[in-house]
Amino acid sequence: MADQLTRARLGGLGRRLAGAVFVLWAVATVTFFAVRLIPGDPAEAILGGPGSQTSAEALAAVRAEYGLDQPLSLQYLHQLGRLATGDLGRSYALNMDVGPLVLSQLGGTLVLALLSLTVAWLIALLLATWSTGRGRLARQIGSGLEIVAAALPHFWLATTLIVVFSIWWGVLPPISTADARGLVLPVVTLAIPLAGFLGQVMRESLTAALESPFVLSARARGESERGVLWRHALRHAALPAIGLSGWAFGSLISGAVVVETIFARPGLGRTLLNAVTVRDVPVVIGVVMIVALVYILMTVLTDLASRLADPRPMSTGTGAGA
Amino acid sequence: MMAHPSAASPRAVSSLPSTVTFPVKRDLRMPRPGILRSAPRSATLAVLAGTAAIGLALTGCTSAAPTGDSATPVAGGTLTYASGDAEPTCLDPHVGGNYPQALVSGQFLESLVSLNSDGEVIPWLADSWTVSDDGLTWEFTLKDGVTFTDGTPLDAAAVQANIAHLQDPATGSSTGYLALAKVTGTEAVSDSVVRLTLAQPDSALLESLSQPWLAIESPTALERSQDENCAAPVGTGPFIVDSWVKQNAITLVRNDDYTSPPADAEHEGPAYLDSITWRFIPDSASRYAALQAGEVDVIDNAQPDTISQAEASDTIVHLDAPRPGASNRIELNSGKAPFNDAAVREAFIRSANVDDAVATLFQGSAERSYSALSSVEPLGISRPDLFDYDPDAAAALLDEAGWSEKDSDGYRVKDGVRLTVVFPVSTNQSIPAEQSLFEQIQATAKETGFDVQLTKLDLSSWYTALGSNAYDAVSAPYTKVGPDVLRILFDSAGITPAPSGYFANHAQLNDPELDSLLAQANATNDADTRAALYADAQDIVLEGFYILPLYDQQNHFLLSSAVEGARAMPTVSTPAFYDAWLTS
Repeated sequence: MADQLTRARLGGLGRRLAGAVFVLWAVATVTFFAVRLIPGDPAEAILGGPGSQTSAEALAAVRAEYGLDQPLSLQYLHQLGRLATGDLGRSYALNMDVGPLVLSQLGGTLVLALLSLTVAWLIALLLATWSTGRGRLARQIGSGLEIVAAALPHFWLATTLIVVFSIWWGVLPPISTADARGLVLPVVTLAIPLAGFLGQVMRESLTAALESPFVLSARARGESERGVLWRHALRHAALPAIGLSGWAFGSLISGAVVVETIFARPGLGRTLLNAVTVRDVPVVIGVVMIVALVYILMTVLTDLASRLADPRPMSTGTGAGA
Repeated sequence: MMAHPSAASPRAVSSLPSTVTFPVKRDLRMPRPGILRSAPRSATLAVLAGTAAIGLALTGCTSAAPTGDSATPVAGGTLTYASGDAEPTCLDPHVGGNYPQALVSGQFLESLVSLNSDGEVIPWLADSWTVSDDGLTWEFTLKDGVTFTDGTPLDAAAVQANIAHLQDPATGSSTGYLALAKVTGTEAVSDSVVRLTLAQPDSALLESLSQPWLAIESPTALERSQDENCAAPVGTGPFIVDSWVKQNAITLVRNDDYTSPPADAEHEGPAYLDSITWRFIPDSASRYAALQAGEVDVIDNAQPDTISQAEASDTIVHLDAPRPGASNRIELNSGKAPFNDAAVREAFIRSANVDDAVATLFQGSAERSYSALSSVEPLGISRPDLFDYDPDAAAALLDEAGWSEKDSDGYRVKDGVRLTVVFPVSTNQSIPAEQSLFEQIQATAKETGFDVQLTKLDLSSWYTALGSNAYDAVSAPYTKVGPDVLRILFDSAGITPAPSGYFANHAQLNDPELDSLLAQANATNDADTRAALYADAQDIVLEGFYILPLYDQQNHFLLSSAVEGARAMPTVSTPAFYDAWLTS
């Protein structure tokens, strides 16, 4: 029986690993070909961008050096081979290896994304617990706020926050600073729409949980309303929101492209935008691969978190994780 | 991305008071044949330049209360600069050679010569220079006692090493390489005299050498790998590259041993500022917000909306420094129908209401141009008579040219073909106000019956459209010091694309008479002859309706009023902070 359980768990792990590898391969493939669809010559990108008055010799030398004179299929296989050994290649435009470049920018974006996720969770929790069990009006206010928040575009929110907090009141800097002050506006910009999504999901399941039989029995045992809410109902209600956090993390990274540009923050989003603009294929692939890897890790983590939060008894095999 | 520059002559500020005039006559600008430019003469020039520069720097800002005239410079402090241009991939402007590189490298690298506010060549790292009668041999005498910030002395061998570096294909220079196309040899006459030998005379040589893309770097530093040199080039300038955290900031610190300001600088010795933090803030609104919030002291690439806000502010000063070279203009592709017919080109130009659109969209920050050259080019000629908005005349021209019928959508047709103008727009090179201007031109030209098809493209796609001749109209900036830019833009040789697909003659102007005028102008060392030849050449371009001039290439800086003494270099209008200090 124990053996069976271990084997099942190992099988689950193997499937997860295979899935992760598949996702990374698919991401690398799609990105490789998508970037090739942008018109223009990568050799020119290497030699200072389109419009540089480069000689035929220089172009030929660069094509040979970067293997751009080979057929696309061969270039693709080489790319895969390098990626398989963990070599992300060398940036066309920035004169440096992609691995160190991406790693140097990863920290800024991770801090931004994790702080935003935390703040979004706090806002969503507060809104959901405040508005649930307080009557229709509170529920409608909560729901209304969440819908509006979820619909706010990042660029609009960022600009509005800058106008109010940097220009009118002068309390927060509109660009990144050496201290933490510069983080406040970018984090809030990313957190507010996300809090809207999380809050909606959370309140719906919280409402459902509060009407379910186990809450009734908890109440019957004489638990306080607060105890019912925090100890029982919220754990149920949090499950879908936890599941959503993996997705949320991905959306935060894409939001980072806008937010890092507006607030002039170093990070992966800005790196990606610059790289796409100058057709820096290795950097685009490098950033996308790292983001995919982090995304996969986040999915695993949210899986684990779901199991910990899930109050239902653990079943055999792969359990409740999706 | 900027186009390629090469020789210069702008005044730094568009609205200098008329009392600040440079006392040297224009005909001194180019050495005359037979007259060697001697050291004493250059020294006089330097003194005059210095005197004029004091007046210039004090009035260098076009709005806000001038407080600089009574203040005494204070040493110390860090100035934060926020650039809206792309972050350079290499800080050595020999490599490639674009405007973002020039912006920052001007703080730590210096050139052999510079220009004053009247566009006259003045001494910098070279104290004086002479040219032989045949225009093929130039000798530059270098300033005494100058060392690079790594301790290497500035001598003739250093200049030779720089020219070799620019001409070495491995460097990948485009701007500097082109500018030195006629230089075939260098020689150290003595430690302090370097001789350049040319294949043909080049009246643009001094203008070319004044550009930041041909700055002189330490030969010791140039021997490092390109990666190392790109990260921290070593020059003779007032600041030194201390660190560069990519996508964040470049830190420049003061060079305490600085001895080589250009002849028109306001003071001698080290700069006042301790350091400069050079940041990159791509978003225009954030950049302006950062300036308002006091997080940065200077921003570039200010857009019309923020300029008009700044004009109303008493804590922000506006510095308008149009770039030299070509004016911003719409080029009409005369190489194929419909614009291979001069009457259709004229009809298009007459049908476009540019004045009203510029006035509204640029909110007074841009002045209409009627010239092929920037208003800072002394040899530019302006022909307002050719560019009136006149839809009736446009309609008559089209009727006569055979485009007399209109289809059901109101567009002109001829032999069943609609009068279509394919107009690819580069969103990297055209600011939003300019893109709106093109839409207004599209709307007014439609009333006459032109179907203008605007397509907004990223830079790569835009170059591809141009390279495949899939355009009838296009607008591309071109920065270069001096009128020789005309040769690049309108010589028929510029129709043949380079191997990379790049070509500069977008109007596809193919006129042997024009080619000959431009070649003669580039070869003569007589200032009057040169001016007359360039005037004739511009007449051909303007009267042939090959281009629709719009305005100078816009280049606006906004500065906190706490910054004093900053100016734009009269070469390619990049900011200079050697004389700058902070008041609070």
